[in-house]
Formats: sequence, C-alpha cells, structure tokens
Amino acid sequence: MSETTTRRLRKSAHLVATGPRRLRVGLLILTSLLGVCSLGPWWTADPSAILDPRVAALLPPGSSRIVVERRDGSTLAAESVRHEGDVVVAIRGGVAERLEAGEITAIRETSYWLGTDTLGRDVLARLLHGGRVSLAVGALALFVALFVGVAVGMAAGLAGRTIDGVLMRLVDALLAVPMLFLLILLAALFRPSVFTLVAVLGFSSWMGVARLVRGQVLSLKSRDFVLGARAIGAGPLRIAVIHLLPNVTTPLAQDAALRLGDLILIEAALSFLGLGVQPPLASWGGMVAQGEELVMGGWWVSLFPGACIAATVVAAALIADGLGDLARAQRHP
Amino acid sequence: MARWALRRAAAGGVLLWLVATLTFALVSLAPGDVASRLSDARISPAVRERWRHDFGLDRPLASRYASWLGSALSGDLGSSWTHHRPVTAVLAESIPNTALLASLGLLLEIAGGVAFALAQLRRPHGTADRFITVVTLTAYALPTFLVALGLLYVFSYSLHWLPSSHLLSPAGELATGWAKTRDLLAHLVLPVLTVGIAGMGAVARYLRGSLLDERTQGYVVAARARGCSETRALLTHALPNAMLPLITMIGLSLPFLVSGSLVIEVVFSWPGMGQAMYAAALARDVPLLMGGTLVATLAVVVGNALADLAYAAVDPRVRV
Amino acid sequence: MNPRHARSPLVALGLAMVASACSDKPYPATAPDGAEGPRRGGQCVVGALADVSTFNEYQSAGDSYELQLMELLFPSLMVEQPDFELHPPSFAPSLATSWEFSQDNRVITFHLRPDARWTDGVPVTANDVRFTYLVQKDERIGAPGLEIKDYITDVEVKDAHTVAFHFSRVYPYQLMDANDGHIIPEHAWGKVPMDKWRATDFEEILVTSGPFRVAAHNPQQTLILERDPAWWGAPRPYLDRLVLRVIPDIASQLAQLVAGEIHLVEVVPPREAGRIRDHTELELVEYPSRRWGFVAWNNRRAPFTDRRVRKALSLAVNRKALVDSVYFGHARLAVGPVLSSMWAFNRNLAPLPYDLAQARALLAEAGWRDSDGDGILDRGGKPFVFDLAYPSANSLRADMAVIIQADLARVGVVCRPQQVEYAALLARLDAGQFDASISAWAEATKVDLTAPWTTPSDTQGTSNFMGYSNPEVDRLIAAAREEADYARAKVLLDRIQEIIVDDQPVTFIYEANDLVGISRRIRGADFNALSTFFNIDEWYWGP
Repeated sequence: MSETTTRRLRKSAHLVATGPRRLRVGLLILTSLLGVCSLGPWWTADPSAILDPRVAALLPPGSSRIVVERRDGSTLAAESVRHEGDVVVAIRGGVAERLEAGEITAIRETSYWLGTDTLGRDVLARLLHGGRVSLAVGALALFVALFVGVAVGMAAGLAGRTIDGVLMRLVDALLAVPMLFLLILLAALFRPSVFTLVAVLGFSSWMGVARLVRGQVLSLKSRDFVLGARAIGAGPLRIAVIHLLPNVTTPLAQDAALRLGDLILIEAALSFLGLGVQPPLASWGGMVAQGEELVMGGWWVSLFPGACIAATVVAAALIADGLGDLARAQRHP
Repeated sequence: MARWALRRAAAGGVLLWLVATLTFALVSLAPGDVASRLSDARISPAVRERWRHDFGLDRPLASRYASWLGSALSGDLGSSWTHHRPVTAVLAESIPNTALLASLGLLLEIAGGVAFALAQLRRPHGTADRFITVVTLTAYALPTFLVALGLLYVFSYSLHWLPSSHLLSPAGELATGWAKTRDLLAHLVLPVLTVGIAGMGAVARYLRGSLLDERTQGYVVAARARGCSETRALLTHALPNAMLPLITMIGLSLPFLVSGSLVIEVVFSWPGMGQAMYAAALARDVPLLMGGTLVATLAVVVGNALADLAYAAVDPRVRV
Repeated sequence: MNPRHARSPLVALGLAMVASACSDKPYPATAPDGAEGPRRGGQCVVGALADVSTFNEYQSAGDSYELQLMELLFPSLMVEQPDFELHPPSFAPSLATSWEFSQDNRVITFHLRPDARWTDGVPVTANDVRFTYLVQKDERIGAPGLEIKDYITDVEVKDAHTVAFHFSRVYPYQLMDANDGHIIPEHAWGKVPMDKWRATDFEEILVTSGPFRVAAHNPQQTLILERDPAWWGAPRPYLDRLVLRVIPDIASQLAQLVAGEIHLVEVVPPREAGRIRDHTELELVEYPSRRWGFVAWNNRRAPFTDRRVRKALSLAVNRKALVDSVYFGHARLAVGPVLSSMWAFNRNLAPLPYDLAQARALLAEAGWRDSDGDGILDRGGKPFVFDLAYPSANSLRADMAVIIQADLARVGVVCRPQQVEYAALLARLDAGQFDASISAWAEATKVDLTAPWTTPSDTQGTSNFMGYSNPEVDRLIAAAREEADYARAKVLLDRIQEIIVDDQPVTFIYEANDLVGISRRIRGADFNALSTFFNIDEWYWGP
C-alpha cells in the first residue's frame, strides 16, 4: 500500500469521526444491521424448522408455545402440556391429545418475539437469516455492478470515439428496456438460485455506474496529471487504475451507497414476483412478498422485514449524503 | 440545430433497433411460448400446435425476427396474441391510464419536493430541517407497496373516505360529465399520493443538497447583500439554478410515464402499462411485448432529447 | 352501441369538458324495501382476478373463469345438472325444450325454443347450432375442445327449430358431447373467414343471447352486464346488473369484500376463510371443487421409474398434516385418479397411510441405503437428491414444497424446492425436463382417463407429462371408454383406480374445496362445482 493511500485512508477515518453527522449515523445503522444479521443467527432458532404448522402458524409477536419432541424425530406444538402419570396431555388447538410419555424425548417452551409465519416458522430467526442473505446478495450484486460498470466506463472514456459510441449505445439500450420485464425473462431463462440472482441483479444495474465513470474520466483525462503520466509512457490500464480510479472514488462511493438500497428493493420486487431466492432460504424481500397476501391476518410477517429494508435504504442514503457533505467540505474547507 | 436533430434521430433509431433485437432474442429464448399455458388446461397438443402454427412459432427464429422487423418498419406492430386485437389498440388503452397516474404523480413529487426543500433551507440544520430530513428519508426508503397498503388501510378500508381501486366506480362507469370526472378524481387520490410520496423524498433530498451548494455561491451572496430576503434569494436566484439537473431528471423519468409501476398498478387494480406488460411477459405475447418495449424505448429517446433541449434553453453555456 | 366507448380516463375528462350539463344518476345499490322473496333490481359486484380476453369461447385459451362468463351471455342446448356424484350428469332443458334418441341411439334430435332471440332481434335457430358445430370441428380455428366432437359426424338442420346430431358410435356421454360449448351467432360471426379467427376482435361484432348482455366494458377494469329483457327466461333474472371488477390481487379482493365494495369473491384463500365466515355481513360457502393437486414424478427418469420409490415417497409425506396446514381443513386427501366426489370413484380405496417404516423398507428394497452415514440415502455412490419444481407466485404450493422437503428429509431423501416461472415450468414439464413437480388439475365431469393416464403417444396420454405407462391400464381405459353402459364401465374404472393407486405415478395430495365469500345481501345463490353462476337467474337482492 503506497504512502499516499495510507495517508488518504487515515484522513478519511478522521473525517468520518469528526465529519458529517449523516455519515456517522448512516454507518452506525448499516454496521448494526450487518452486525445483528451476521452474529444474531448464532443465537436464534433454525429459521427453516417447521415444528407444527397446524398449531404454530401465524402466531402474533410475543406468543409462545410448548414444543414436544418425539422419538421418531417429529415435533408437536401445544398451547399447554400436563403430565398424568405415564401419559402427557397436550392441548393442541384447544383439543386435548394424549401422548405416551415414553415416546417423548424433550419438552421445551419456545417464544416467538416477532411471531410466526404461515408454516409456524420463527419470524425473528428468518428475519436475521434473511438479512444475511439480502445484505449479502445486495453487496455481491453491487460488487458485480461496480466491477462491470467501472470497467465499461473506463474503457468508454479512455478508448476512441467509436468504442465509446458503441459502448454507450449499449448502455442506453439496456437502460431503455423495461427492467421488470427483462428480469422476468431472465428468470425464465436461468434456473433461479442465489448465484443467478446476484448475477441478474448485478448485470442489470451496472449501466448507471458506467455512465458515471465515463463522465468523470472524460473530464479528468485532459488534466495535467493524466497527460503527464501518459507523457512518461504509462499504458491505458495503468492510467485507469493508478491515476483515474482514485479520483472517481467519492462520486462512485456516493452512487454505490444509493445503489445498495436500490438493489435490496429490487430483490424485494423480484421476490414479490416469486423470482427471488429459493425456499426454504429466507430473504427480506421474500418475507415481504410472503406477507403481502396476509396483511390483514398477519401484518408482522411483512412489516418487520419491510422495516429492515427501509432501514438499510435510509442508512445507505445517509451515507451517500454524508459523503456528499464530506466532498463539499473538502472543496470549501 | 438541424444537424443535431438528425444525429439524435439516427442515434435514436439505432437504439430502438438494439432494444428491439435484444427484447426479441430474450423473449424467444426464454422457455415456454404462448401455447404453453394451454397444457395446464389439458388442451390437446394438436390445438397447441395449431396455435404455434397460426402465430408462426413453428418457423425458425431468424425468419420470425425478419418478418417482425419488416412489419414494424412499415408501421405495423401486429395483433396481440392474447388480446386478439391490434397491439396499438391495447397500448392505446393502457398508456393513457399510466400516463395520467405518472404525470400527476410527477407533478406532486416536484411540487412537494420543492416545498420541503425550501422549508428546510429557511434554517439549515435547524429543528425543522432535521425533522423534514427524517420525513423525506423515510418516504424515500419505504417500499412502495407498504406505502400503498398503508394509505389503503387508513383512507379506504378504515375511514371509507376514498375508493380503493380502479379508475372509476361501477356507477361512474355508466355516468357521464362532471359525475364521471369527480369519480375519476376521487379514484386518483391514493395512487397519485403513492407515486408522489416516494418521489417527493428523492426530489427534496436532492434539492436540499444542491440549494446548500448554491446559496454559498457569489451571486446568491450578492443578492442577499443587496437586501434580498433569504426566501427571495433562494426562490428567485438559487432555485432556478438548482433546478437545472432536475430538468434532466424529469426528462429521464418520461419513460416512467409509459412503462408504469407494476406494484402500484396491482395494488390499486390500475389497468396500465405495468400490468399489461407483465401479463404479456408471462403469457409470452411477443407482438404486445415488442410493441410496448418499442414505445418505452421511444419515450427514453424523446425524454433524453427533450432534457438536453430544455437544459440548453435555460443554461446558455450549453449548446445543442 | 359500441360497449367500448369511453375507454380511457383522458377521454372521460375530455367528455366532461364538452358535456358539462349531463344528468348524474348513480345507480342505487339497493333494491326498494318490500316483502321477502325474489324481486327485481339491484346489482352484484364480483371480484375477478383477470379480465376476459375474448367473448368468443372458441378463441379462448380455456380459462375456466372466462368460460363461466360465457354461460351468462350465450345459450346452450341443455343445462348440465350437478349430479355427477351419483351417475354421469343428467341434463335440463334450456335452448332445447326437448330431445329424443333415434332407435339405434346414433341420432339425437333437439327441438329448440321458437322464442329465443339474439340481442339484435334475429332468432336463434338450428343454423346457429350447426354453425357452432362447424366452428368447433374446424382445424383452422383450433378451438380448445376440438377432440370432444370426435364422435359427432354431422349436425343436420331439420327445420329452423329442429336439429339432429349424428354420432359414429353409442356411448354414455353422447348428450354431454353434443351439449359441450355454447351456441354462437352465425349471422354475426359467420362472415369472418375461419382462418382469420385467431386475430379477430369479436367484441366489435358482439351479439349475445343469455340472461345478461354487455352494457359496458372498460378493458382490464370493469365489465358491466345488464339484464337482457328479451331473454326467454323472463321474469328472471332478478338482478338488474352483474358487475365484474378486475382486481388482480386477492388480498385487495378480500379487503374490498369486507369493506362492502364488492359482493362476491370466488376464490377465498383457505387461511382467510375463517375471517370471512365470522364476518356478520358475509357468508362463506364451501363445497368440493373439481381441482386436485399432486406431486408428479418423472416416471421416465431414475429413480422415479421404480414403482417402489414412488410409493415410498408418497408414504413418507404426511399428507394429512400437509393438507391441514396449508388448507386449514378446506380440502380432503386425494386418493386416486378419480375425484372422491364423482360417481366413478372407487369407494373401497383409501388414501395411502403416512408410514415411515414402510417407506424406509421400500427404499431399502429399491437399493437406497445410507451407506456412508451422512443421513442421506445413496445408491451406487450417488445420494438421493431431486428438484421439486412449482410455479412461482403460488404461495400455497410454496408452503407445500417446504413441508414435503422437511418430511422427506426424515427418510434421508434430499428434496430441493425450486420455483419456476409459470410458462417456463409448463414448457419444461412438456419436454420432460424435470424430476418432480407440484401440479394441479381441474377435472371435467366427464370421466375419461385417456388423456392423463394412458401411455403418451400422438393421440393418447396427451396430458400425461409424467410419462406414466402401464399396458394393463391402457387396455382397461380403452375398454371403459368403449363401454356403452356406465354401470359396467364403473367395474372397469374401479380396477383402473386400484392399479394406478398401487403404481403411484404421482403422489395424490389434495382435493380442494371451493370457498366463495358472498355478501348476505345477495340471496338465492346456489353455488356448485359446475359454476359459480349456475343459478344466476335466481339471485336477488335481499331486503
């Protein structure tokens, strides 16, 4: 790592610490979401565990049920359980059911702080696991979009008019195709999986990045430091990576922050259409889509993941704002 | 100017062709065709083959593409495979509905956004500014359908103030004149609010940033020094300049006027382009999909050109 | 009048500016108060998931909702009665007031009502009946039920109101096949060349003859049907209007039903049934539908070629718990290829039990053992893993897939649920590119097992995408189809059901109930599995 980079990093860290409050608040929200979602699942229940849908489905937040584990590996949920000699009486759905004590291996109580979904799965557990998936998918797709976008934007900005024209017409064309219907056809074309989801999301949102980078490159490439580098024989790749890239980081970071929010929203829209991650895997978008049908009978299924998506977008927007403020402060110290 | 227009038209033509080709390839390569859905209703393969033959799906891809391109160039978008009517007729039904909703939504989002931003800048970093920042951020961040459902539950299902769906009530459908217009206006409120709320947040956030930049510029400072009030300085001097990029934004959102938002249209049972194109994609109605995509692309081309023209008109530094 | 006038709100706005002083008389939603019993007036607003794509059923893609609407607008010779539980359906007079069979049973002669008229005043005649038959049989039109008329060789016009159907053979469903499809107007639609039908908009030349006629149609939004005063069933129907509102989102339909904006929701999701039932102003009507669901195994692909494997997988899924969890008691366990509500159902059969021990034994017998101790069965070094496809945006099947996955994990089988876009899924099933899929069919009231259960070929087994093939079943199905006497056919059908249940080409899961939510203001409605609008002419607004 070169000395200038180190210095720049240290300067950035200092700016974050003393700089715009928006940036700090945004980073705080995003890191806490990331922290809770990456660490939380170690403590929560199995997000895919179907204990007993007939008794545990769509329980409101704060409910709890007694879970009876049986020797054959199956589980039962009950409102209450009492022992009567060799027999355990479980009240399930208001009906008493007698179970042999010998076939029971464990009886425990489970609390559902955020309620359960249609199959009686723990919403809290799914929310945390789903956060991992959604944030990871969003981040990976963002990475794909940035990578492709920066590469195309640099190429268009540095190469001649012809290549620039071809690439930019391609960008225009992709931006012009209605996104939603592009996604439907792509989903029909490829087998849905986390991998394709990332690829589809990434490849459908790099165009904005490419436009941004190209614009920056065009305005930078006649500056002295680039001309100087070219004069001493630096190749285009070297110029792009060493000289231009560091100078586009601020607008790029600002754009990326907003884009992360967008990607998570698109993932939600894809799940709304049933084209998101595959079950039983949870994702915020998938949970929102699942809950959409139940708004009247189970608002908790969609509201919590919806709030998490909103929080991520808010954090991303705050970070973008903060980065803008930071840049403004640097321009007018 | 004429050369500029010619160059733009040529580039637009290339763009249209590119998009059309891309779409045609995608919809043709995606598994399933318009006759596939017949199999779920246990309709015999003979009938399914007949459909494929009638729609030319038994011909090679290249020949299908060539004949579509040929008729499109001669101005014939063909007949929809699912509506049994000319594509233009289906589009002519859906686009006005979408455009009505989107244009009112756009107006609301600009008006609301400007109002919020100006209110914030009366005292930047003050209490009002912070409060509005939270409001606009939330509006911007909430998933659209949550906003839509929230509005529906409050104003329609609980308070019964406003109708929940469609452009007209059954009575309005048969009414004429003012009664029909009033019915339409009542039906517009919630969907327009939904479109407006999300966009309002974005516009307000954007404007606040650029106005903050502008108010430190020399000409605004000078205006204030001449004794202009803060509001006047903002309104008559800073705002027009800060609005410049907004023109681009409006130009770029022109496609939205014809492509629509599926989520909003589904939640409000709004028969616009979003739903029409979604159904066409699911049913593999190739002529309708192609027609809709062409119109959307045309809107992009025109929107970009208009944005550039408008920009040039208000900013003398830019020439087209 | 072109019913598609004033299509867009922009046009409406324009009109409003021109015609400023028009009368404003919104239609009263309630009938005047009076005595109990049917009386005229009022309207019923129905929630529809999609708009009709055509008013010509021979142009349709076979959508059941669309076909249901056609019976409000077009006449049929007879009305099929919902008595399929006891015997092949019987028929009541409709456009035909009476009919008789010839001595050799190969000709049925129908006598039509002389007073039936199309909406343009032209009488409905035997020519229309013959025209309809020609349309149904025409290769160029390719109507959905083309093959239904296979055994009808000719429809002969005896005079304006007498028409004779000639059959190539005698079989139990002659009346049903003659009756299938509604009569369409020759004078209006006969002018369209048959090779142009696919791209013709019949709404522009729409002429109907039913209890209702089209008053206004705002595409993808509202279809308003009004009482046809010239209909022969006068004084019925009692309702003045039937309004079909396109509401693509089922949650919105329910919310509007509860809010009183619409009066009828045809497809209440099972988990919402309780809420509708408990609502004071709503009624929940429930009856066995003809929809049933199954896991289709790809019988051509290992390991599902092995009957023992298919049976073991069926035994390992707790279907009772599954149906209870997903349908909340609003469905029954499916048993075999004939619905349990049909006369032809073999009542000696019961659903396969949930039996993990037997499932494990069968799998072991077929060579599937957990030889490496990882909890997953394997054979020849390959683990038992398969993809379970289901259409995306179908939450019930998504729930089923996850439950099946959890159940099969108990016997060491890895099932990977996979949602696939609908058209893509159908194409894949058609091409045999799948391991297993959660599918559902709506069963006709005519019991003919040829299309779904015979060995696939050009003419047979045309819906048998599972690739099930059992020569014995093929032979028995052919024999049952040829059998003129339904009681004798029943013996054959019983045997076929036994064999198919034993073969388990699919895992039979559920027979769903239809759940209709209706406002208590609408009286006299009698729903059945034939149609929601079965007795629409008897519905009326209650006091």
